[in-house]
Amino acid sequence: MPELPDLNPVVHGKLRLALLTLLTGVDEAEFTWLREKTGATDGNLGAQLMKLEEAGYVSVEKKFVKRKPQTLYRMTDAGRAALTEYVRALKQLLGEAVI
Amino acid sequence: MGTSANDLELTERLNLIEAMITEGRRRCESWGWTFLLWGVAYYVAFFWAAWEHFAYAWPVTVVAAALLTMLGFWRQGNPPNTTLGRAIGATWAAMGISMFILFDALGFGGHLADARIFFAAASAMLGMANAACSMMLKWKAEFACAMVWWTAAVIASFGSVDAAADAFLAAIFLCQIVFGIYAMILESRRRSERGTAHA
Repeated sequence: MPELPDLNPVVHGKLRLALLTLLTGVDEAEFTWLREKTGATDGNLGAQLMKLEEAGYVSVEKKFVKRKPQTLYRMTDAGRAALTEYVRALKQLLGEAVI
Repeated sequence: MGTSANDLELTERLNLIEAMITEGRRRCESWGWTFLLWGVAYYVAFFWAAWEHFAYAWPVTVVAAALLTMLGFWRQGNPPNTTLGRAIGATWAAMGISMFILFDALGFGGHLADARIFFAAASAMLGMANAACSMMLKWKAEFACAMVWWTAAVIASFGSVDAAADAFLAAIFLCQIVFGIYAMILESRRRSERGTAHA
């Protein structure tokens, strides 16, 4: 019997997984867009994005647009690889191809 | 944790991934208002041109509608770019530019004396854009709009000027006004149904 894979704990968090998945489909996303899509609170969202940033899975850019602060998040290559590996492991654990 | 509970949690994660992929791709529905806006613009241009025989009715109305569309998107903020969103936006922009150039050129070149040429070409182009968008989004309702536009194009090619005008006006009503309102209702419903993902 093959050894079952471990799931990456950074990716496994529900909100972090949602954020990484959302970021796979876009070039970059504003904090407010991620908040709207996930329905998370500012504090929780900020904390989870910081964990993803610390893990090197997302990069952050802060700038001013029309004098308003804007925080943009992008998925890194490491983040994309981590999510791909997570989905592969998840499918292996469930023993079926879902996606 | 038991195996079934564990499996349930893992399945929940997969469902979450699918839901977020869908959520991230959801762009076109927020364009429902543009269908409505352009439907009203087509009616304004049509009746303005018909009643006053004003040669610039269509160009002026189209430019005004384009400016209003840009203003609307500017007010929406800065939604993130997706490949799908870019593809859909590019399809409509390319169609709009093509129509603007073609009809201005035909009009000022004196080749639009037969209004059926305008109705047929405009309907075919709108059918093309709707069809391309519907195939990208796998949205049957929008493909039905494409078929309505293509039908209007065929009627304009074979029927009288009055029949062509009637078909064009009916297509505007169905594919711009009714479809635009339908898309806006869908968008509003999805906004209210939107779930949450907590850590």
